[in-house]
Amino acid sequence: MISLALSMLFLPLLSAVVTLFFLRKSGNIASLLSVCTAGGILVLALALIFNFDEDVMAWDTTWFTMGGWELRFGVLIDGPARLLLFVVAFVGFLIHIFSLGYMENDPARPRYFGGLSIFMFSMLGITLADNLIMIFVFWELVGFSSYLLIAHYFHTEEASKASRKAFIVNRVGDFGFLIGIILTYWTYGTVNLSELADLADFSPNLATTVLCLALACGFIGKSAQFPLHVWLPDAMAGPTPVSALIHAATMVAAGVYLLLRIDFLFTEEALGLIGLLGAVMGLYAGFCALAQRDIKKILAYSTLSQLGYMAAAFGLGAPGVALFHLTTHAFFKALMFLGSGSVIHACHHEQDIFKYGGLRKRMPITAFTFLIGVLAISGVNFLSGYFSKDAILLWAYNFNMPIFVILYAGAVLTSLYMFRLYFITFEGQARSDHSSKAVENSFLMTGPLLILALLSIVGGYFSLYPTRLGSYLGPDLAVVSNLPHHMWMVVLGTSAWIIGLLFASVFYRKVDQDDPLSMRFPAFYEICKSKLFFDEIYRFYVDKIQDPFARFLEVMELLFISGLLVRGTAGVTALFSLLAKTCYVGRIHAYAFWFMLGTLGFLFYATGLFD
Amino acid sequence: MNLETTLLLGSIIVPALGSLLFFYGFPKDGEALKKLGYIIFGFPCFAGIVLFLKFDSADGYCFEFLYDRMGLQELGITFHLALNGVSSPLFAMAGIVGFGAGIAAIHSGADRLPLYLALLSLMLSGLMGLFASVDIFFYYLFHEFALIPTFIMIGLWGGRDRRSISLEITIYLTLGALISLGGLVALNVMVDAPKFDFPHLSAAISQTSLLDSSAYKIFGLLLFGFGILVALFPFHTWAARGYDAAPTSVSMLHAGVLKKFGLYGLIQIAVPLLPQAAESWSPWLMWLALGNILLVGMVAVAQTSFKSMISYGSVMHMGYCFLGIGACSALGAGSAIMLMCAHGLSVALMFLLASFVHKRTNTFEMSEMGGLAVQTPLLACFCIAATLATIGLPGFGNFWGEFGIFLSLGESQDHLWFLVIAALGIILSAVFGLRAVARVFFGRQSDELNEQTKKKPITDLTKVEILPASLILGSLLLIGLWPLSISPRIDREIHGKYSQLDTQNSLAKPACCPVDGEAPSPSTVE
Repeated sequence: MISLALSMLFLPLLSAVVTLFFLRKSGNIASLLSVCTAGGILVLALALIFNFDEDVMAWDTTWFTMGGWELRFGVLIDGPARLLLFVVAFVGFLIHIFSLGYMENDPARPRYFGGLSIFMFSMLGITLADNLIMIFVFWELVGFSSYLLIAHYFHTEEASKASRKAFIVNRVGDFGFLIGIILTYWTYGTVNLSELADLADFSPNLATTVLCLALACGFIGKSAQFPLHVWLPDAMAGPTPVSALIHAATMVAAGVYLLLRIDFLFTEEALGLIGLLGAVMGLYAGFCALAQRDIKKILAYSTLSQLGYMAAAFGLGAPGVALFHLTTHAFFKALMFLGSGSVIHACHHEQDIFKYGGLRKRMPITAFTFLIGVLAISGVNFLSGYFSKDAILLWAYNFNMPIFVILYAGAVLTSLYMFRLYFITFEGQARSDHSSKAVENSFLMTGPLLILALLSIVGGYFSLYPTRLGSYLGPDLAVVSNLPHHMWMVVLGTSAWIIGLLFASVFYRKVDQDDPLSMRFPAFYEICKSKLFFDEIYRFYVDKIQDPFARFLEVMELLFISGLLVRGTAGVTALFSLLAKTCYVGRIHAYAFWFMLGTLGFLFYATGLFD
Repeated sequence: MNLETTLLLGSIIVPALGSLLFFYGFPKDGEALKKLGYIIFGFPCFAGIVLFLKFDSADGYCFEFLYDRMGLQELGITFHLALNGVSSPLFAMAGIVGFGAGIAAIHSGADRLPLYLALLSLMLSGLMGLFASVDIFFYYLFHEFALIPTFIMIGLWGGRDRRSISLEITIYLTLGALISLGGLVALNVMVDAPKFDFPHLSAAISQTSLLDSSAYKIFGLLLFGFGILVALFPFHTWAARGYDAAPTSVSMLHAGVLKKFGLYGLIQIAVPLLPQAAESWSPWLMWLALGNILLVGMVAVAQTSFKSMISYGSVMHMGYCFLGIGACSALGAGSAIMLMCAHGLSVALMFLLASFVHKRTNTFEMSEMGGLAVQTPLLACFCIAATLATIGLPGFGNFWGEFGIFLSLGESQDHLWFLVIAALGIILSAVFGLRAVARVFFGRQSDELNEQTKKKPITDLTKVEILPASLILGSLLLIGLWPLSISPRIDREIHGKYSQLDTQNSLAKPACCPVDGEAPSPSTVE
């Protein structure tokens, strides 16, 4: 087992190293190598998932020891790990293939595919890690690979800023996560997940809300939740397949996965707070998405919103449902991001949806698969999103009414902005040269779309999941199916997407270069577009507080430490030397005088006059 | 004398002899000079790595060399070389950085190159001797050997304001060294040890009852004396100015290796000898270290010059080492050693890369660069890796040091706030590090650089430049990916020295309740 797991983990690292050393100049070989690696990961992952009977497999070895503290490098493959492993390996492989088509003309392919391999390595590390510190290590490494890939078009100012922003904002989250880990270690004496679970079982009162929230900071940073959500929309400056893999399907979902891994630590208060944060994010991001013009930013906000749903599910005490939504979301969101990539590629990197239009006829496969994604995320009955999202809604309906109301409003919005995106992009008439000349992409790009579309349709049928994959989801979903108000929920859920669809078709069926919302409800549009000024607030902090304060400290340092203390001391010494120098005047009388004074002094001392 | 001892002695004598050769203008021919330079600077590196691999952590000291007929026996001073678990990784680190600095110097194209190499190899000889000495007198003496060439080299080959800066740094560091020497001598006099080295001092202290008040005073001397040498806030201003003005090789060796002298003294000598005094000084040390991390870190954010940003950044990261020492535990001190090794490598690499950038752009001002990654992808790659190493990304050695230090701070409730404030540093260093990368390598090329490129196209790293950079980066990655390569020997040595402190602290340790056997443990499958 362990040789399989370790070879799967280190395969992509090896591939990245080989690319770095030998394939820097040969894009074709580098991309092939990386795709083969992703294929290898998929095969190994499937073997790891299905070839063994044990429900929990664990292995570890010493990694670092210091002063009585021992860190172990370990692998823990249990229910959630298996499911995420499948998602990462499978979606990752499809996106690698898609990248072959999408990046075909990019001169920096070795760097891109090397970065993807590093990402796969770090993401697999998070999935398999058996202790918090190891998760933290790979956590930072996915942050690094995300930085690297966002900065792919580094010569643009946008990518340069976005990559830095993503890393630093994630670091803010990691700051809390780090403190949480250290508190956990000194509270429980271990950071191993299985041991922690046992200890938390044994003495449930050890965990404090502060500790939980500190750990949850990691989730807030990585999953881009309030108030650290600002980096994700900007991260869209990276290549589109990267956005699909890292900023939609896997890395951002790692935050939710972290919560699942340590759910036994969480106190009621912490859970309540996370649930509320998630629900509010689900709604807030929906409003933001409504006023975006960039196809990728709309999808980014939609990701934020769906991550909010997962957090809400977790906060309401249904981690299995959260993981279920994570899985279906990975399918349909990866599908839509790749679909947008297909559109962007066909339209020569035009990303403004108002410059598209009429693409359904020109790119039928992309349009069809994209529509499936839209239907799935909106929760149209019997598609994957319907099952996972309505499970969350039903849970909220039964256990927490205020959160249900927020989430329901979010669901209406989801359907609205998604159909808006679909209508403006694919229906109507072409509104720019690029879109009127667009042609459907090669099979390398449409193939993954078709597979993901299929999964977006069937991914919600839990009975199709093999036991090895669904073991963690089972208990929570069984609870869901036994909850009351089932029929009522079907009506409500269906009404949500229908309301959204109706609004969207009224507003957005016929559009020109301007957003109809901005003409009919300019005030509302402006509020949505402002995104409640978070970016401006942070910008203000950096430009008007942090940087001036840094410059102020620099001046203070120069003035007080270098100036007053160091130079001052030197000055005082110089003053003494000046005084001492005045004694040396070079005349014999003066020296005789000093000599006499000295002799007198000695005499007085010797006779005891000073005592 | 066996092979290992010869290597140990040779790593000091070879550069010293080389220095003489260079000084007397041998060899005359430029090519031969370079070749000789490679040998002279390569030997300590080779010796360091071999001795690192051969080190057997079972006994305290390895590869002992003793020459006790120096004529100073009455004072208890003998020429005694050996490596222990703490000094062995630092010794190897000094060798590697020395090699990098040497290659940079050989190809620096400085005028009066033989003199430059002579001084640099003298400095290297002192650095190797410093970590190899068991005897405290020679430990100190070798430090001075390394220090004096620094002043001359800054004064002769430095950048702007080199005269005044070299004077400032001279006075400042001599003062620091003098204070710490005072502390060391006072300690020796107080306990009247038969020999002036750690084992004998330690034995003597346990026999004589040193008054708490005098131990407190002596530790204060050592703390501030060594502190000045390591740029403890607020005694740090010499460092940034000095590194800024110093030629690259000197910055590399000074910031990377020589500055670790003070920390090494504190961890290896002062704290284990005077544990109670260390505990009472620890709050002072912690507060000042926070000054290093937050205030100096903020000043680093404000820098517009690439090199001074690196200088301030290196001063900032010394704060973590101080925090590790201030935690007064084996975990803290051992992690501080880890960080010292990694920091020495990473900061030297940063200075080296900065000089490569300077060679191509003729400036250190970040606003006059931009977009360099297009022309120099490999340099950008190295520089991003080095920056990420300094900001403590896992996978590089610095991470283990920083993490261990943070962990050691969490041990005691009193230190929790120090932990929270110090951990802010990981955000701060990301801010200035990534900002620098973005300004230098990403975005659009500045107009100044455009002008320059028109005159002379910018080329990527040459083989001679890749060699030292990849050697240093490789070592950083080795420590980062496989920390067990150095941690057990440090752990073993520190564990013995800090056992007294750890038993004191263990009373304060939080209770954890292992539940062996009560809950089903996960099945292990091979």
